[in-house]
Amino acid sequence: MPKDHKRINGPEETVPYNLFTKLNTKTLLTKFEEAVCNGKRTDLRVPEEHRKIFLKSGIVSQAKGSAYIELGKTKVIVSVFDPREIPNRTDYSLKGEIYCEFKFAPFSCVKRRQHQQDTEEKQYSAIMKQALESTVCRHEFPNFQVDIYALVLHNDGSVLSAAITAAGVALSHAGVPMYDAITSVTLGIQDGIRLLDPNCEEQTLCEIPISSKQESSHGVIIVSMLDTHEQISQFYQYGCISVEDLSASVDVLKQACKNIVPVVQKCLVKHVLRTLNEDVED
Amino acid sequence: MSLCEAEKTFVLHGVEENFRVDGREREDYRPMELETDIVSHAFGSARLRLANTDVLVAVKIEVDAPFPERPYEGKLDFFVDCSANATPDFEGRGGEELAVQISNALSSAYRSPNVFDLRKLCILKGKKCWKLYVDILLLECGGNLFDAVSLAVKAALWNTQVPLVKQVDIDGNNINLDVSDSLSDCQRMDVEKAPIMVTVCKIGERCVVDPNAAEEKCSVGSVVVAVAGRKISTVLQTGTGSLHPVTLLECLTLGVKIAQRLDTALWDTLRQIKPNQDVGFLK
Amino acid sequence: MSRSKELISKIGLRLDGRRANELRRIRCKLGVFTEPDGSAYLEQGLTKVLAAVYGPHQVRNRSKAQHDTAIVNCQFSMAVFSTNERKRRPRGDRKSTELSMHLQQALLAVIKTELYPWSQIDVYVEVLHADGGIYPACVNAATLALIDAGIPIKEYVCACTASLANNDIPMLDISHQEEVMGGPTLTVAALPISGKIVLMEMSQRFHLDHLQKVLEKALQGCRDIKQILDEAVRLHVRDVGCSTGWANTS
Repeated sequence: MPKDHKRINGPEETVPYNLFTKLNTKTLLTKFEEAVCNGKRTDLRVPEEHRKIFLKSGIVSQAKGSAYIELGKTKVIVSVFDPREIPNRTDYSLKGEIYCEFKFAPFSCVKRRQHQQDTEEKQYSAIMKQALESTVCRHEFPNFQVDIYALVLHNDGSVLSAAITAAGVALSHAGVPMYDAITSVTLGIQDGIRLLDPNCEEQTLCEIPISSKQESSHGVIIVSMLDTHEQISQFYQYGCISVEDLSASVDVLKQACKNIVPVVQKCLVKHVLRTLNEDVED
Repeated sequence: MSLCEAEKTFVLHGVEENFRVDGREREDYRPMELETDIVSHAFGSARLRLANTDVLVAVKIEVDAPFPERPYEGKLDFFVDCSANATPDFEGRGGEELAVQISNALSSAYRSPNVFDLRKLCILKGKKCWKLYVDILLLECGGNLFDAVSLAVKAALWNTQVPLVKQVDIDGNNINLDVSDSLSDCQRMDVEKAPIMVTVCKIGERCVVDPNAAEEKCSVGSVVVAVAGRKISTVLQTGTGSLHPVTLLECLTLGVKIAQRLDTALWDTLRQIKPNQDVGFLK
Repeated sequence: MSRSKELISKIGLRLDGRRANELRRIRCKLGVFTEPDGSAYLEQGLTKVLAAVYGPHQVRNRSKAQHDTAIVNCQFSMAVFSTNERKRRPRGDRKSTELSMHLQQALLAVIKTELYPWSQIDVYVEVLHADGGIYPACVNAATLALIDAGIPIKEYVCACTASLANNDIPMLDISHQEEVMGGPTLTVAALPISGKIVLMEMSQRFHLDHLQKVLEKALQGCRDIKQILDEAVRLHVRDVGCSTGWANTS
């Protein structure tokens, strides 16, 4: 773990206290049964129901474009900055570059996060970049780079999806040419039950096998889609899932991505109306 | 490597005709060579040469303390080093981005306990465990790195011998491990289900496996499927393009089919390897 | 210095059974990879090194280009598993940077850089297994890789280590075990044919009177290594020549 010498770091080698509380003695199976009780999840959603989304553009005044998204308790801010020349590059690149930086705020998770990017954050940055590269018309700004910063204020599951959806909005808010609106959804699978848009606890429960049966699948899938042409711009999965379960999940995810599109569109229309009104007032 | 439009068209037409530049069909692999036990400082090692892609993997083992949130599990750490020998672009920190991509792919593929059980690496709950460093050195890049790396990693883990702990003495906070000196007392690890990654590369309208460097340049996107047993442990997309869901599912099915074929071939090869063969780069 | 007495036993054998003036077994191969313009693999005892040469090609960083010579760019790197204790980083530490510079110094002495103005030659070495004498192995492997790449050199550049055992007997080609046991290590990179020294480095101290004989021993080692390398090159050229069919035309 690299250490940041410019800051005062918290004490090293600390362990979150909740590992030692009585709550932690429950087996995974009972935890999972509590999470999905009688076909209802803890927040009274049915398994394949997405959380309510709050999406707002233009909240960081210094950035060219920005967006704020809430999925239940999950809160993410994404800001996009003006294209600038690609730094440290000698040759000319015909297509523009996208630079993504995904960061958890130190207080966003149960465990304190370091200020420097760790491997998980780096991986999420790479996935975000992968998702957005095929969305942005990169040939429109050759030899330039667009910087995108995502900051997670509160991690309650599906953070990467939230960040990608918000990044799409922030990019359009910044006026970066794009092919289509991008939406992203996370899905957790455990023992044949598909949990759409899992919260933090559900996501952890989906990462480990609970039932002893060999055939049952478990895992997490994150998909980003461009709606108009039904294109998957990014697909990432981990866990252990059979092909049949995976293909069934893709259909669910496809529909879920489609359902978010109106939210994104509405947010963008609001932004346009707001700018028009400002122009009239001037 | 840079290709002109005419060369790209040539590759594209070849793929369309199911007769690729090097004479293969779309679902064929290039020849592979596998050697194990070639790094004597390591607990297990393997070298895989897939045509002109060359990967060297060594496994080192250290004693460490388990993560407090997972006291029953050992640790597994992947480190990829892109040697500048492969291409001058990797000089200094040039290969870091690719290295991180590959090591991330490997760690998510090995993440599920159904795939690789870290509990076997625990020595004493919450106090001591084995930490496996899987170090991957890319010596030459001729395309299809993910597949080559995953095969070599699996072979190296198969080859790895974890020392046997005879006895653990606990004296207050001090823990002494009595590790058996005898080489014959080592444990092999269970890598039956260790994942194999298959890169399915979309060129034009068709999907190919095992793309060489030129074919990779012609592709707009590829799907890396990590298959463990009969299940998929990781899927990730690389390249800049996007895919239709139908194409994606086709890629997954193809990936699983190819991975099972590769797995059988790998086990056949591993069984044939005799100990103390004279191996290495001199051959 | 008391411990260094054990370096050579009474009957004149070293820890690994060699005599004082014996080299470790050197095995090498040219052209191990297809992608680089030249490559070589060299084993000196247990020390194993891979070298790759790219170039001469256009200078990557334009501002560094020279109008009258080629620039030689070296990078030394060690696999993280090459040492007994796992290394944290393969390169970028002070030792690797120093070795890269020393390697560049040795190679600049032999490459006819004046033939390639405005261009660059990259030499990359990768240590797969470190067992003492890393620098000499790198120099020797790099020389072979340069020959494989067909880059004109004035003559072989060979490197060798020597030490002083029992405060009296000079001994050749120090292994890791002997390095750890103590005693001074003299590293010499030389041009064996013209007898020039291009790099000399010494660790620890011994009396100036001993320098002459230790140096002479190291130079002898360089000459021996040159013989071995030369043989390998000739064999390689013969093999390549045969496969391309030149043997039939004569």
